[in-house]
Parts: sequence; C-alpha cells; structure tokens
Amino acid sequence: MGIIFLLIGASTVVAVIFLTAFVWAMRSGQYDDDRSPAVRILGDQRPDQSKTTNIPKTS
Amino acid sequence: MFVSQRSVALPHIRGVEQRTAEKYTCYHCGDACLEDALRFDHKDFCCPGCKAVYGLLQESGLCDYYALTERPGVKEEQDATTVRAELFDLPEVRDKLVEYSEDGITRVTLHVPQMHCSSCIWLLENLQRIEPAIVRSRVRFTSKDLSITFREEHFSLRQLVELLRRIGYAPLLSGGAHSEGKRGAGVPRMLYIKLGVAGFAFGNIMLFSFPDYLGADTSDPQLMKGFQFLNFMFSLPVIFFSSTGFFTSAWTGLRNRMVNIDVPIALGIIALFARSVWDVTTGHGPGYFDSLGGLIFFLLLGRWYQAYTYQAMSFDRSLNDFLPLVVLRKRGSKEEPVSVGDLQQGDHIIVRDQELVPVDGLLHMGTGNIDNSFITGEPLPVRRNVGDTIRAGGRQRGAAIELEVLRPFEQSHLKRLWEEHSGSSTAQRPAMPKMIDQVAQRFTVAVILISVAAGSYWAGRDMDMVWPVVTAVLIVACPCALALSMPFAYGHTMRLLGKAGLFLRDSAVVERMAHIDAVVFDKTGTLTAREAYELHFEGSPLRPDEMRRVHALARNSMHPLSAVLAGRLRPRKNADPASAPSTHWVDVQDLMIPTAIEVHETPGRGIEGMVEGLGVRIGSAAFTDGTEALREAGEAHVHIAIGGMHRGYYVMRKRARTGMADMVEGMRRFATPWLLTGDATVDPEVQRAFHSEEVRTGCTPPDKAGHVRHLQEQGHRVLMVGDGLNDAGALQQSDVGISVSETSAALTPASDAILDARHLQRLPSAVQLTRRARRIVIASLAISLTYNIAGVSFAVAGELTPLIAAILMPLSSVTVVGFVTLAVTIAAGRLGLHNRT
Repeated sequence: MGIIFLLIGASTVVAVIFLTAFVWAMRSGQYDDDRSPAVRILGDQRPDQSKTTNIPKTS
Repeated sequence: MFVSQRSVALPHIRGVEQRTAEKYTCYHCGDACLEDALRFDHKDFCCPGCKAVYGLLQESGLCDYYALTERPGVKEEQDATTVRAELFDLPEVRDKLVEYSEDGITRVTLHVPQMHCSSCIWLLENLQRIEPAIVRSRVRFTSKDLSITFREEHFSLRQLVELLRRIGYAPLLSGGAHSEGKRGAGVPRMLYIKLGVAGFAFGNIMLFSFPDYLGADTSDPQLMKGFQFLNFMFSLPVIFFSSTGFFTSAWTGLRNRMVNIDVPIALGIIALFARSVWDVTTGHGPGYFDSLGGLIFFLLLGRWYQAYTYQAMSFDRSLNDFLPLVVLRKRGSKEEPVSVGDLQQGDHIIVRDQELVPVDGLLHMGTGNIDNSFITGEPLPVRRNVGDTIRAGGRQRGAAIELEVLRPFEQSHLKRLWEEHSGSSTAQRPAMPKMIDQVAQRFTVAVILISVAAGSYWAGRDMDMVWPVVTAVLIVACPCALALSMPFAYGHTMRLLGKAGLFLRDSAVVERMAHIDAVVFDKTGTLTAREAYELHFEGSPLRPDEMRRVHALARNSMHPLSAVLAGRLRPRKNADPASAPSTHWVDVQDLMIPTAIEVHETPGRGIEGMVEGLGVRIGSAAFTDGTEALREAGEAHVHIAIGGMHRGYYVMRKRARTGMADMVEGMRRFATPWLLTGDATVDPEVQRAFHSEEVRTGCTPPDKAGHVRHLQEQGHRVLMVGDGLNDAGALQQSDVGISVSETSAALTPASDAILDARHLQRLPSAVQLTRRARRIVIASLAISLTYNIAGVSFAVAGELTPLIAAILMPLSSVTVVGFVTLAVTIAAGRLGLHNRT
C-alpha cells in the first residue's frame, strides 16, 4: 500500500508545479489585460504594408 | 499598390449600398451624416475631423482599422479635460508621465479613455507606421492605458500627444491622479492568487477525504493517518495565506468596537482549524479540513465577485480633475505654460476656445462667451465684455480671451463652492450601517449563546462532549452563505443597473437606494437636455432660399442661439422631409451655401450681412424692426428680417429629456418628487410633471442642500438627481446622489451614482430593482439561516460528522448564490432593465 504515497507524492509535486505556474503568471500580469493580446495577434498576421505602399494624400 | 486598389474598389461598393439604403453614415465614426456630408475618396464623412483622421490613416496604410470593427472611429469632442498639447512640454507634467528615459529613448504611459474596440487597440499599437520615431506602443485595454516608447530626439512628447489627438485619441491628464487611482479599481491580483491557492488546496483535500466519505476500510491505520497528514499540510496555505483577509478585517472591526460579518467567519475558521487539528492529533477522526478548504474557497469567490462588480469609475473627484492643470500665462509678448496653483494676482492668462477658466479673472482682451454649464447646467453661454469679471469654472466658447487674474486659485469662487460642499464625501453621510453587519452582530451573539448553552448542557452529562459540541456549533454556524448573499445580490444588481445606464459607486448604494422616499430633481441639465432645442417659426413662413440665406448669415455669428439656428437650417442631401422633421429646410439639388458678405455683428443685438444680394438681419426685435412678442418661460426669440422686412421670429425652447414626465410620475410610487431650480421660472413642459407646491424656483446651491437637509430632518430618505457643480452640495447632503451625465467624459460632481442621460426614464425601474434586491437579500438570509439552524441542531446533538459538514456548507452557499442571482435577474427582466438600448 506504500506505493500509493509515492503516487500521491508525485501527483502533488506536479500539481504544485502548476500552482506555481499560475501564481507566476498572475504576478507577472498576464491576466491584467484579457482583450488586447487577442487583437494584437490578429493585427500582426497581416503583411506590413506601411512604408512601401504610401499612396498620395488625395485621390 | 494593394492599398490604393483596395481603397478605391471597396468603398465604391460601400457607397452604392449606402445610397440604396437612403442613409449616409460616416465612414469613420459611424454616426449618421444628417447634414451636409463630406465626400472624400468615395466615402462619406460627417465632419472635417473624421475626414482628417481617415486621410491620415489611409496615408499610412492603416485602413485595416476600418476592417476590424463596424464603427471604430471616435468623433473628436472637445471638453474641459482635453489638455493643450504644449503643456506636455512642462517638466512637471513630463515627470509625471515618463517612466523611463535614457539615451534619447523614452517610455511614457498615457491614459486614453477613448479606446473602446479592437480597431482602437490595433491602431494604437501600430502608431509606428504613422510616426517612425515611435519604437513601440502597447495598449493595456482594461485600464485604458497606452505605453509608448519613442526616440525623443526626433519626436517630442508634445508631438506625440498632438499625434494622438489628431487621430482622435486625446490622452487625459488629470492631476496625475489616474495612475495611482486606477490601479485600485478592479480585482487585485492577490485575490486571484489567494483564490487559486484555496481552490487548489480545497480540491486536493476533497480528494484525500474520499476514503472517509465512502466509508473506506479503516483497517489500515497507516493509510488513514497518511491522508489526514496530507490534508493537514494542504490546509496550512489556506489558513495562513488565503484566509488572512478575513482575520484582518474582523480584527479591524473589533478594534473599532464593531462586529462585522467577518467576526463570526473568523471565529468559524479558527474553530474549524482548531477542531480539525485536535481531531487528527488525538485520533478522534479525520477532521474538517475539507469543509475548511471549501469555506474559504467560497468566501473568496464572494470577495472576488464583490471586487469584480465594483465599478472601475472614479466617483470621488477633486477639483483638479476638472480644471486645466496648467494654463498659458502671458508675459510681455511671450506665452508660457504655468501650473494653476502658481498663478498670482495680476497675471495675464490666455483661455482658448472650449477651455475652462481656472481662476476668477477680469476680461482684458477679446469677447467672452462663457458657458457655465459646469456650474449651473445651463449651456447657453453668456456674453462678457472687456472689463467684466469672469468667474472660475466657466468655459470659453469662441475666440481666445485674455484675462487678468483677480485672485489666486486657492481663493477663487469655484474653489470655495467646491470645498463648501465636498469637504469629506462619505463621512458626512447619514450613518446607515450595512444591513449585513446588523445581521452579523445579532448572529454572532446568537452563536456564542448557543455554543455556551450547548457546552454547559453537555458539561453536566459528559465532559468529553463539551469541546466537540462547542466547536461543532461554531463551525456549522459560520455564516458562509450569509456572507455570500449580499455581495452576489447587490453586486449582480449593480451589474444589471450598469448595463441599463446607471452606474453605482458600490453595493451599499443599492441598499440606500432601496430606502428612499423623497426625490429631489434639479431642472437645467437634468430634466431638460443640455443642447436640444425645440424650434418653430412665427410669422410669414420663409421660403427655402430665404432659409438658406438665414443659415448663411447665422453661421458667421458667435452667439449660441445663432449656432443652434444655423445647425437646424442646414442644407441636406436627402429630400425626405419625414426623416428630419426637426430640420426646417430640405433642399435636394443645391448643396451650395452662399457666402454672406459685409457681415457685422453687434454684441447684444444681432448680426447683419448681405447674402445673395439681399440684406439679412438676425437678432433682437429692435434690431430687425419687429415687435417684441410675449415670451413664455424658458423661451428665446430670434427675429429675422430679410431685405429690410421683418419676417417673424424663431421660437426656441429647451426640450425636456425623453420620458421625463413619465419618469417623474413613476417615481411618485416610492417617493415625493421635488423640483429645485436656480431659474426664476420653470418651463411649462417641466412644470406639468410636478404639482405646483413641489417646485422651488430661484434656489442657490446652498438652498438646494438646505432643502435636502430639511427633508432629512423630517425623516425622509432623499434621492437627489442633479448634474452641475451647483448641485454638488445637495448631492453630498442627500442619502443617494445621482448625477446625470450626457457623455462618459463629462464633468460630474462627486456622487453615489452616475446616470446616463439617455436612460433617465429608467430611474423608477432602477429604484424598484434595488427594492426588490433588498427583499431578495432578506429571503436569502432566511434560507441561509435555515441551513444554519439545521446544522446547529446536528451540532448540539453532537452528531456533526465531517461528512455532514462537508455537504451542508457548500450546499448552503450554492443555493444562496444561485437563488439571489436568479431572482435578481428575473426581477430586472420584469422591470425591463435587461437591454442596453
């Protein structure tokens, strides 16, 4: 039956690792803004058309 | 190349669609272009500002902005909090904003309240495409902050601010309060961590308690001991980390000789932990660690919801938030920015269009056209000539003026008015302890009595049972559900009210609002709309071409009534009179506006000029050779003469807000309405909604506060609805002060709640909802007490097994939370407060 404590120990270690990861993510501010990162990813996917394709001011 | 093709091809299709729909909407801000829309690049724009932003974005290849959201743009609106860009050159302002500056690379954080959608984020994070000197810009959407790193040798902070203003995202600068103040709002990170730890421990403890729940074979004491030890270990972070907030709160309460809801909770937590440790160490049983974990987890959930629903709005405002931080001082021919506090008597300052006058001053140069709506709610500006005194708080409309400072800021009229009323905001409020703390006091007394009684009963029979029974009573009586019902019920009410347009400061306001039985309204700016006028013409009707002439002349005038007239007589594209009953002249083909020549304006009389060969005069009766007509209260007459002939006059009357009369009628169900106004007379439209004895005219700000106090002395609980700073005193004095606001960035005095002016008619339903919410809380208290009584009956009999505790505690919490949330949602639905529109 002693094996069960080994298993519990192992699982607890894994769980604590995840808890630590959560606390770290929280502290580093990853949950502070849940909106802009999602948008950021959309914007960056588009090709950068800024400098080369400047068009005249009026048309 | 790709961009130019797209921008030609796509908008063409858009334009066709719009034409068939007979509706023009601005390509940038999405507002309907009612009047003369501007055409640019095959798109319609409602104003030059929107067109300019589009031009800038198109030039930089940033038109994706429009692809992301339906109507992303922000129409540029000037208000007092918009700050002059040159002020950002001031070292004291710069120091406040700059986070880091080294080797010419500078990082600043600006507060940009206008950002509201995905497009905004996208544009603000692509600023480097517009200005190469910007290295990186990052948005923090929740706090509406924008961090920008830029090369300062190429691009000054001031230029950066100017750029942001050009694209419609003017940063806000308010006494530096936003950086510290905003951080307090929202859910603190620590609470999430505590919640996470508690949840983690709770789950694991439950897991290790399963053998006990299932009545597992206890023949292996080694195994059971091992599980108990693990549970004990997991409970340590819960008790010493997650639950600390309850102990500190209870301790603070006790030190102030107050029993708050956290006192019985702390008592319960201690009892749980002590009993569990005792059980485990003496081998009596597995302990109540699972209940402990669950209790703290649910309680923290309640705390989280409370913080989550707390409005991230600043309700306590200082005067500095409204006034320009820095003004332009004129020294000789030089203009230099100085901070308001440093102004000395005799200094000359420049106040430009749309800026607030920060100090009392003497008009030295220019024509003052002062809008005092911040102080009184009255938007019609008053004229001031050279030599007149202008009081602080007025807003200049029109050309820049030069003022001579009469007294320093600290002694100004505005400062005194402010301090008289808002000295200490919440402390002066009539004390009304939160219902939950009252309940908590009796509850605590009852729990202690029961545990003492049960203890002494068992002491006479079986000494061994005293400790288990006393702790069991304390454990099971822990008012977990009680503590949850209030934050969830009131928090949910606040959320629903916020969606309906009424934003409350905190959940205590819900309870105070449920008790009101008198309501005091301010008139101007509260019941009447700020800038909406009803317009009709008296006299021989004007032909369209004559109206066009009037428009052409009126638009040259500085007088506010002329501006109203010019706006309403504007030429329109669509020839559908039904769509615009309020506009008087509808012309199909000719969008040309003729030019008025030889324009001459006589202050106080009117304006004259030549339009298309005819002399036009707009102004007073005497100025246009007309006869003065009888005026009703609240009306203004603008006389028109064309070609030397008096043609009649426009009657302009300020309109009451939509549904105003119904709203007052609706409030009668709970409260006696009163109308207090600074004006000498009341518009008939508003008057009709009130009985004559309910109206008080000619009230000064102290009168308003005095009336509210008088009502309170008669035992009434007063709700005050106002808007301007002249209501600030009454709003403070009242039990619940609601300030009505037309724009989110408007100047509202400190109050308990902010009501979106478009939803004024929802006020009765909102009050009704708070009353229902209060009843729902009482019902939920009854439910949780039933659970407690059931639990205590187990406890005094000495039969509270860990299993029963583990079931009873979460069950009661879940029932109570579910009940209040559902009940409040249903109540709001019945009152029609569900949708935003």
